[in-house]
Amino acid sequence: MEETERIKSREEEEEEIWSWGAGTEGQLGTGELQDEHKPQLIHSLSSFGPISHISCGGAHVIALTPGGRVLTWGRGTSGQLGHGEMVNCLHPKSVEYLEGIFITHASAGWNHSGFVSDTGYVFTCGDGSFGQLGHEDYISRCSPAQVLHFKARHVEQIACGMRHSLVLLKGDTEDLIYGFGSGKRGQLGISDDKLKSVSTPQVTLGFENVKIRSVTANGDHSAAISMNGHLYIWGRSFHGAPDVYTPRRVTADLLFSQVALGWNHALVLTGDGEVYMLGRYNYNVPTGAQKANGMNHISEDEGVLQRVLDFNSTKVVQIGAGAEHSAVVTDDGSVMTWGWGEHGQLGLGDTNDQTGPRAVSLRNEPSRKPCVGRVYCGSGFTFVIRTYTVKSSF
Amino acid sequence: MSYDDVEIEDMEWNDELQSYTYPCPCGDLFQITKEELKIGEEIARCPSCSLYITVIYNLEDFLGDSKKPVEPSKQQPVAVA
Repeated sequence: MEETERIKSREEEEEEIWSWGAGTEGQLGTGELQDEHKPQLIHSLSSFGPISHISCGGAHVIALTPGGRVLTWGRGTSGQLGHGEMVNCLHPKSVEYLEGIFITHASAGWNHSGFVSDTGYVFTCGDGSFGQLGHEDYISRCSPAQVLHFKARHVEQIACGMRHSLVLLKGDTEDLIYGFGSGKRGQLGISDDKLKSVSTPQVTLGFENVKIRSVTANGDHSAAISMNGHLYIWGRSFHGAPDVYTPRRVTADLLFSQVALGWNHALVLTGDGEVYMLGRYNYNVPTGAQKANGMNHISEDEGVLQRVLDFNSTKVVQIGAGAEHSAVVTDDGSVMTWGWGEHGQLGLGDTNDQTGPRAVSLRNEPSRKPCVGRVYCGSGFTFVIRTYTVKSSF
Repeated sequence: MSYDDVEIEDMEWNDELQSYTYPCPCGDLFQITKEELKIGEEIARCPSCSLYITVIYNLEDFLGDSKKPVEPSKQQPVAVA
């Protein structure tokens, strides 16, 4: 009895961060300016402590710590790193302007960035030439600036796409989504008519009496998931159909929990851990070839909503989408990728494309069991955070 | 296979590259110069990968030195600290 008490185990959490894919702007955090075809264990973040969230853009990365601190690295030539200058940064660096502000949420777009504080303030920096910073002008900024349009409101989330942004405001009775930036493909959802760019945030239509769980943007696409599991999509169409100017609910007899957008595809995760895909599978894979490679059409509209199979009978717990690649984490902690692989963004050790999910080989020590894994995709690169429970006896 | 068809007005003029550019999914930029447009070239390539796009434009807009070509909607970013 005494013996067992003395050697009772203590559980400790350890975090690992991995990256791979396009790296010529320093976005992989490896300190190198080169592509990596295999997962690289990143050490440059360890001095900042654990990382709670990552967002990957065109070629830059934003990381948040549990204490609300913001780190950025990668391409900075439009000011998207928020370091007060328009230069690239090879190593994770704290955004000084935001020190003292507790940032709870961040999003990296093609060349711009958005940050939301615990008090509901929203800040943006980077390329503003389409109005995507929401400051009622078309100026780029190299330090985060508060979006004053929302100064008296409580912002929950921001989502940054290629040339546009979405902001989610939580209300007592209903939630509001605002759009700003380029609206040419309907991605702002603010008008039935074609419009170019808007630098003043405008309310996205069609969400009366809908409670929103999350907003997502990438490329010229926008999406939202409601609290009751409905998926809404607007912007550039995924399959050659006309662009969608106001949010449209995807009709399916499924409840969705997450959505991830690429430039020509969307992944959606159901509450049951199943993954479905909208749009083209891979830029050079014709639609006809998809069915033979782990895809099952479930919609009456051919090619609209397809189930992605081949996750080794495991449930998927989290999804991510780069411009032309996809990544998921399964409930056994594995990371699987597929899609375009020219820059090694699939992390499979080569530059081949994959038409169906393949397991990424991350080093596993038998004594360490991954309990949480999360995957985050930038345009042509991928990040993974893995949290281990380490049992150590004392 | 062309990755996408992009109208010239959706491309951005990049002074440093002296090219019209459009985001490439790899993270780099598809690029085409005024000189290329003048000789009827319609393929903009990415220097980092195998992808290319087809540029939709009127050749007449780029012919002749005195005639100002249609500038895309965007200028170079202005830095504001």
